[in-house]
Amino acid sequence: MTTVLLDEQGLRHDGRKVDELRPVKIEVGVLKNANGSAYIEFGKNKIIAAVYGPKEVHPKHMALPDRAVLRCRYHMSPFSTDTRKNPAPSRREIEISKVIREALEPAVMLYDYPRTAIDVFLEVLQSDGGSRCASIAASSVALADAGINMKDLVCACAAGKVADQVVLDLDDVEDKEGSGDMPLAMMPNFEQVTLFQLDGILSSQQFKQAFSFALDGCKRVYQLQKEALMKKYFGQGEPSMEESE
Amino acid sequence: MSAVKKSLVVEQLRRNQMIELLAQGKRLDGRGLLDYRAIKIETGIIPKASGSAKVTIGDTQVIAGVKVETGTPFPDTPDQGLLIVNAELLPLSSPYAEPGPPDEGTIELARVVDRGIRESQMIDVSQLVIKEGEKVYAVFADVSILNTDGNLFDTTSYAVVAALLSAKYTKYEFVDGKLRPTEVKEALPLRTIPVSVTVAKIGDSIVVDPTDEEEAVMDARLTLTTDSNGNICAGQKGEPGTFSFDQMLNGADTSRMKGQEIRNILREATGFTG
Amino acid sequence: MPDIRRKYVIPGELIAEGNYRPVANVFRVGEKYYSTRVGMAEVGHEGVRVIPLSGPYIPRVDDLVVGKVVDYSAFAWEVDINSCFFAFLPAQSVFGRDYSPAEDSLTSKFAVGDILAAKIFAFDRTRDPLLGLAGPGLGRIPRGEIVKITPTKVPRLIGKRGSMIRTIEMATNCRLTIGQNGVVVITGSPDGVLMSLKAIKLVEEEAHTADLTQKVQALLGQGGATT
Repeated sequence: MTTVLLDEQGLRHDGRKVDELRPVKIEVGVLKNANGSAYIEFGKNKIIAAVYGPKEVHPKHMALPDRAVLRCRYHMSPFSTDTRKNPAPSRREIEISKVIREALEPAVMLYDYPRTAIDVFLEVLQSDGGSRCASIAASSVALADAGINMKDLVCACAAGKVADQVVLDLDDVEDKEGSGDMPLAMMPNFEQVTLFQLDGILSSQQFKQAFSFALDGCKRVYQLQKEALMKKYFGQGEPSMEESE
Repeated sequence: MSAVKKSLVVEQLRRNQMIELLAQGKRLDGRGLLDYRAIKIETGIIPKASGSAKVTIGDTQVIAGVKVETGTPFPDTPDQGLLIVNAELLPLSSPYAEPGPPDEGTIELARVVDRGIRESQMIDVSQLVIKEGEKVYAVFADVSILNTDGNLFDTTSYAVVAALLSAKYTKYEFVDGKLRPTEVKEALPLRTIPVSVTVAKIGDSIVVDPTDEEEAVMDARLTLTTDSNGNICAGQKGEPGTFSFDQMLNGADTSRMKGQEIRNILREATGFTG
Repeated sequence: MPDIRRKYVIPGELIAEGNYRPVANVFRVGEKYYSTRVGMAEVGHEGVRVIPLSGPYIPRVDDLVVGKVVDYSAFAWEVDINSCFFAFLPAQSVFGRDYSPAEDSLTSKFAVGDILAAKIFAFDRTRDPLLGLAGPGLGRIPRGEIVKITPTKVPRLIGKRGSMIRTIEMATNCRLTIGQNGVVVITGSPDGVLMSLKAIKLVEEEAHTADLTQKVQALLGQGGATT
């Protein structure tokens, strides 16, 4: 059974246009115990991010004398995928944990918190393509919620290729049956790329177009991250005119 | 100093308050000794799974997902489907939860919840056979614990039960010797609603549904599961303290009584009328 | 206040351009100043700063903190001060300079679970905070209701020259011990404690809004506009 990835009207298998992002919803502060947290729905992806820290490092010899250690764990719940997944971390999850950490690290001001650890935990409750980008978006928001100093948020989105056409934000079907997947993450106010991966074959022209699509997707995700934070923290009231101490 | 991760130390002020209140039959959050916190159950939150439920009891929050797949039966039970219950205490859930393979506490939790469901015969596994001795349905119930504030035993159990009660699985059939999914989706063959009730002993008082703070000071814990007929089908005493014989028998009565109340909450949340 | 511009910001947002003194939670690239936190940015003659709405307590020397004893060794108690680090209270500071582990036992003075009001007398980037009990009102707190607030909101709970804490104490007839680390102990009658808890919750939720003082006074059943 083959899915029609792109029809004559230029619509994708789920009805989206080539440059259309799936619906995204972000909620801030969803877990009581974590220092910061966020929940994201990116299409059918459902992911929770929790931040604990800055906190003491155990064992103590793992601490760095002049900065915090950033640790990241990306994990998929067994019921999150089409076929039930063994709960033990797979090689894929370990690699994704690493690239997510490296996508967030440039933005976190680690030198403000020497000899501590900052932990980012991600749990994918339902997965549908593009979960690492959604995870990065949720993690940034959770770090801001935790009140950890950051130079910028990190926003993320993927672009790719289906039926020889460059498209924005691939879902699971497009990821599996398409011919190119390029997740991208960046710090929007400084225009610095912090995550880049590619598998597939893109011509020079397609690469430029995919890069441009992904950047645009990232910017749209940033607006949603900003809205979510503003809503939680500044939902009511005007900036205060009173002074304290 | 010790390199071992510190577990929750309850402030002496809170401990004293707790003891004073218990003598009056009350708890720190205003509950009576036999009162549960607010129980919220939401099903169908993971549409890709065959069944799913998010349960919160107070601030304890878990999500259970059920996946029904096909597999080979155990050699000694060729005419029975498979049921596998698993729970993971995620590092998201508390500053004291570490990433890594489950520790003895989490393993005990998963096994106790599993027994409560298996021993009650909630699922008629003889109805989950495609071809005897060769192919059966395997029901996986996995729980991801998102936030802890005590009583993981009951929260986890209710989530698995709610997910199983509301699950719909795709039927398979053999076509030309090959196993193929059909268009048919059915509810699981269910016989009863097991409900676990957990109590904690603090000093001389017995309280149901302990919070994290109460668990940090408790001497012992007792979980008892009843089925829809009021039979007790599974139980576990945990922690290094003791229960008197009377407390054990009262525990059974409490479990039956609270079990009935919570069974109705589960029925309402899942639409299951059995 | 003349010439102070205020704006809600998130990390990475540009707050001001020009020549300013970066005061708090701001980082500078050339002549541009960006926020490092979610909070309220203020740009004025004194400089640029962001008042954050969330974040950990970073210990500062001379801060009053309320902590919980979680462990002890032969030489010090380990105290949870609701921060990135555990703090230490040296046995010597309590028993005196001729403290001897063989003769003086730490548990005779403070036990695990005890609540202490203490001052931070040493802290830098190379070591854990050290606590001292020398000073009025410091020492073990034997009874009271404990509540935690976001450390960044402590200044609002204390108020200008202590005005907010005095308002609450007088209206509820309670005593509030407020640690800079966001831990508060309330002692008083059960009704007073309940009312204090409500007032504290209000400050926590509305710390960044206008008329906070009026709102708290209204809650405590006081009219008028005295600060």
